[in-house]
Amino acid sequence: MRPVSFLLLGGLLAWAANPSQPGLKAVGSPSAPITIEVFSDFECPHCKTLHDETLPPLIRDYVAPGKVYLIYREFPLPGHPYALVAASYATAAAHLGKYNEVADRLWLHQTTWSQNGKVEETACRGLTPTETAKVIKLAKEPAIAAEIQRDVALGQKLELHQTPTMIVRRGTAVYPLAGMINYDLLRSFLDSLR
Amino acid sequence: MARWLRLFLRLALGAVFVYAAWTKLRAPWQLFAMAVDAYGLLPLWAVTVVARALPWAELLLGLLLISGWFLRTASLAASALLLGLFAILVRTYASGIQIECGCFGPGDAISIRSLARDGSLLLASLVLAGMALWNRRRPALKS
Repeated sequence: MRPVSFLLLGGLLAWAANPSQPGLKAVGSPSAPITIEVFSDFECPHCKTLHDETLPPLIRDYVAPGKVYLIYREFPLPGHPYALVAASYATAAAHLGKYNEVADRLWLHQTTWSQNGKVEETACRGLTPTETAKVIKLAKEPAIAAEIQRDVALGQKLELHQTPTMIVRRGTAVYPLAGMINYDLLRSFLDSLR
Repeated sequence: MARWLRLFLRLALGAVFVYAAWTKLRAPWQLFAMAVDAYGLLPLWAVTVVARALPWAELLLGLLLISGWFLRTASLAASALLLGLFAILVRTYASGIQIECGCFGPGDAISIRSLARDGSLLLASLVLAGMALWNRRRPALKS
């Protein structure tokens, strides 16, 4: 029993040391020289533009070749009534390894669910019945809310004042990039960091 | 009294211009380019030109103001620059677009506070330019 207890304790300690579990909501290699944390609000139109237009070429050109590690962070704004719910479903789906799938669907249908409030229906569309049940159950758990709150607290610590904001880290250097970013400028910037 | 006011204004404005230049030049130029691009007023090639040239222009203006060389030209150029920037800030704020000012590096969102700050700088610059021009005209009036 003792080794099992140690394993459990070790797992708990590892989780506590890395509370926001970036691996669940991240793309690329954690050993990449540059890390980008994207703070988004699922109901924010500029965040949708960033996810639709800037992130796909970024993933293709920098994340896939191992140059950038991309972490998604939730930063639901108080003025958006469904943003927190959407973040809860996406974060819950991350625990099933389905973050990108659910997040992509939320971005794609943002204008619809942000009007009619049918977040659950949009988020779970395409998941199996078992996955849907798990996501719905997880989304309501305090642990998921706490996970989102940790992202928000991190954003507040970084003095974020708008979404989307990308925090680019290279070694000890930290560069906040607020708002929609032109991909040509972002590419030029990332190349200058190498 | 006017002499001391002029000295204060040119040192203060000069220091602000040098600081503004330093906040931009210490970081990769693309960061300032992103801030300029966010206003949506210029094509990408012009954004690049502004992002690369403006910090050096600010540094030059700041040093000229501090040294007192070419004071009339420097104070008029500073007033023109601040007037243009202030007009863009007011237009952006009035249209409800929430972006960074880009005036003093990242983390400086356009707000009433930034408008008041830039408005004060514009006023100070106009007063300095007025004093510099007035000083130039005085000998001519006497003769």
